[in-house]
Amino acid sequence: MDDPVADLITRCAAQDRAAFRALYDAASGKLMGVLLRILGTRSEAEDALQEVFTRVWLRAGRFDATRGRGMTWLIALTRNHAIDRLRARPAATEGDDVLAALPDAAPRAEARLAAQGEARRIAECFDTLESDRAQAVRGAYLDGLSYDQLARRFDVPLNTMRTWLRRSLLKLRECMEQ
Amino acid sequence: MIPPPHDDDDALAAEYVLGVLDLPDRLAAESRIRTEAAFAARVAGWEQRLAPLNDDYPEAPAPDLMPALEARLFPQAPVRRAWFGWLSGLAAAAVVAGAVVFFRPEPVLDVAMLVNEEHGITYMVQHKGEMLMVSRMKGDAAPAGQVHELWIIPPGGAPQSLGLLGDMPMEMPYPMPPKGWTLAVSMEPVGGSPTGQPTGPVLMSATVSA
Repeated sequence: MDDPVADLITRCAAQDRAAFRALYDAASGKLMGVLLRILGTRSEAEDALQEVFTRVWLRAGRFDATRGRGMTWLIALTRNHAIDRLRARPAATEGDDVLAALPDAAPRAEARLAAQGEARRIAECFDTLESDRAQAVRGAYLDGLSYDQLARRFDVPLNTMRTWLRRSLLKLRECMEQ
Repeated sequence: MIPPPHDDDDALAAEYVLGVLDLPDRLAAESRIRTEAAFAARVAGWEQRLAPLNDDYPEAPAPDLMPALEARLFPQAPVRRAWFGWLSGLAAAAVVAGAVVFFRPEPVLDVAMLVNEEHGITYMVQHKGEMLMVSRMKGDAAPAGQVHELWIIPPGGAPQSLGLLGDMPMEMPYPMPPKGWTLAVSMEPVGGSPTGQPTGPVLMSATVSA
């Protein structure tokens, strides 16, 4: 499959600096969007973006183009770094202001990408979930919400949230494997 | 219905990819990713399964960080960089330490200041003679069951552990870290990273600028 981002990552693994610059041009806007959404402030997102691209260069050798698309790998690395930052914050700063600032996790992606097979699949599978549970899964993924934040947001006990989410995820998996 | 046993692992992998776990559970999952191929495959499976949601992240204008990244990853000092290659480390340490001692008798050089504002922790890294010195200027050591581990990362290379940061300032024989190298502190289980690479979140990092 044609995947120019994957090609650039593979060239980075071979220490190709021009490919690294091209990769920055191709992917920094998307990764900045991920970081801004999860971390909330531009200054922290910019700081994280530098860290993310440093890791991209250092870890490019671990990318395996046979296992997935380049952009998926970059976003996974970016989300992991952003969520590590969130979880390392002291609990007191994970306050309500963060919740208030969250954009609504509406099902935009699924609707917009209905033409693409994979996305149509996940959209259909999200439809099999109760709507608040689908929203919890989306909110967790897109905004990096913790179980604690999700429980407060949906006003249910933490263990209930955990049970909800685990069941929803397994149901999603089952649906997508059909 | 009793779920098949692998469902627990698969749900955990999904929780990790979603990002909902708290720090200790997250660290435990990351450790399993590195040591259990089957669990790593489950995580990769969920990354692929949920990837269509990535389309919901809008693009945002990114600053041009290339100059900073290139300065960090590709410093312009090939000769000096070669001196500090890991293989020639010992000889280089002797040569450089000797030069420093000869020309400037044991000055204390500031190497980097590592700051984590969220936790209110600051470590100062200095170099004197042949010794690297690390002291905590502000904040507390890692909470019980965890430890701060100091790493040095050569441009284009993998992190190397310099040791664990406890209550006492750390001193160790080590050459002056060159410009462009990165120092970082990660949170690790007691005893330090079990893998030789950082496993916990990076609490702070700084690039040596002079």
